[in-house]
Amino acid sequence: MLQILIQGMLLSGLYALIAVGFTLIFSVGRTLNLAYGAYLMLGGYLYFWASQSLGVPKSLAVLMAMAFGVVLGILKFRLIVKPLKGDHIAVEISTLILAVVLQAGVILIFGDSSKILLPIVGGVIYVAGAPVTYNMLIATLASWTILLSLYLFIRRTDIGRAMQAVSMDTKGAAICGIEPDRVNLITWALSGGLGALGGVFFASYTQLAPSMWVGPLIISVAVVIVGGIGSIIGTLIVAHIVGFMEVIVVSVLAPELRGVFTMGLIILVLVLRPQGLFGREEL
Amino acid sequence: MSYLEIKSLSAYYGKAQALSDISLSVEKGEIIAIVGANGAGKSTLLDSIMGLVRQTGQIDFDGSVISGKSTSNIVKSGIGYAPERFNLFPYMSVKDNLLVGAFTAKADTAANLSQVYSLFPRLAERETQETATQSGGERQMVSLGRALMTSPNLLLVDEPTIGLAPKVCQEIAVSLRRMRDDFGLTVVITEQNANFAMTLAERIYVLEAGKMQVEGTVEDLRKDNRLIEAYFGT
Repeated sequence: MLQILIQGMLLSGLYALIAVGFTLIFSVGRTLNLAYGAYLMLGGYLYFWASQSLGVPKSLAVLMAMAFGVVLGILKFRLIVKPLKGDHIAVEISTLILAVVLQAGVILIFGDSSKILLPIVGGVIYVAGAPVTYNMLIATLASWTILLSLYLFIRRTDIGRAMQAVSMDTKGAAICGIEPDRVNLITWALSGGLGALGGVFFASYTQLAPSMWVGPLIISVAVVIVGGIGSIIGTLIVAHIVGFMEVIVVSVLAPELRGVFTMGLIILVLVLRPQGLFGREEL
Repeated sequence: MSYLEIKSLSAYYGKAQALSDISLSVEKGEIIAIVGANGAGKSTLLDSIMGLVRQTGQIDFDGSVISGKSTSNIVKSGIGYAPERFNLFPYMSVKDNLLVGAFTAKADTAANLSQVYSLFPRLAERETQETATQSGGERQMVSLGRALMTSPNLLLVDEPTIGLAPKVCQEIAVSLRRMRDDFGLTVVITEQNANFAMTLAERIYVLEAGKMQVEGTVEDLRKDNRLIEAYFGT
């Protein structure tokens, strides 16, 4: 039981980190960025290349991955999202195609086989008798720190308030002198950086593979659909529902059923409560 | 040159033309009303001034051309806007809505906030309340307050009385007059309620099917019975 509780907390923290960047885009731009999983994949691969091929210090490699994610987010907004302004379906199809193209690019450069990403911090600690890797612990602590910082950034700063404003009423924001395109650009950049960071931790928790973008994308979609909202607190709550559900399924039923229940939850919520559990649009 | 001058303005939603060859002028310190039925193009006209609609023609404000500028730059040039549907941020508090209004006028935030609260004391009492839970009248006050937070010299107000109780309409009229008399603003409102427009404004423009039909002072319009009957229904 204690093992489930600890593993659930750790996995949920990681899931919250993975989903929050996706939530930001959905909330501010009203777009499902289906290439979001590709940020994670590329973040993981860039960290792998920098730290394990070039020998760059791990902390610097993490920052490089984040910076790469930021650049990807900016490029995606400038080259795809802005030209397709207002056409959400076209943006979603384009981002999905982009994810497949990026996967092909990764296969071309790094090959098709999976790669083991060495933990950012090695070693194991025992919490109430349950083994917990330092890597997972750091991922969870980083996740909580980032989510708290992001929450404060959005609630307390002018740019954060502008992001909230654009997420709730674009015209209202514009007549206050806010440039929605600029806010969207910042959001896509932030989302890219967060996604790449999530990818580094996710890859070190699982493994590095060209198809690894699918799993985190499903988690992110689940968080948005199940929550029905774009709030950071909501992301945290739903990430914990999904995280604990997966840990319980793996521990009590069968590891093979892990993702099945998450997808089942998505369908259940879509049928019974399409507006999501919280059903409110905010940041 | 007038304070606000619109020359041969046409506005479009996609291929549909919503305004045709509109010209009007507003002097500094005036309150003017644009009157017209639903769909006459009143909101489109104010949206056009704010750069929110595709348009042709020229709009000058305070000696500078503002047509073609971004909405953000138009706000910075000193034009505040309270739209018909308020366009508030429903899950933000009253105070946060007002603070978003201060986005381009941060240096004036404290002074503007106290001005807004002096004009609408109810907003100060309910500054932590989410605007989604407020009445129509309170939301109108937040909308006007948010526009004032941009430090405007010209205030555009779209249908300030729509859906409001007569008592609240009176409060709004008093506030709009105070904005001109006490704060020195120039005010442009649009209205379907011709009586409200005639009690508040000094000059009136009548808009019909996207075209300007009549323009004159309230006194002149009152003298013309045919006009009153045709456009004001009284």
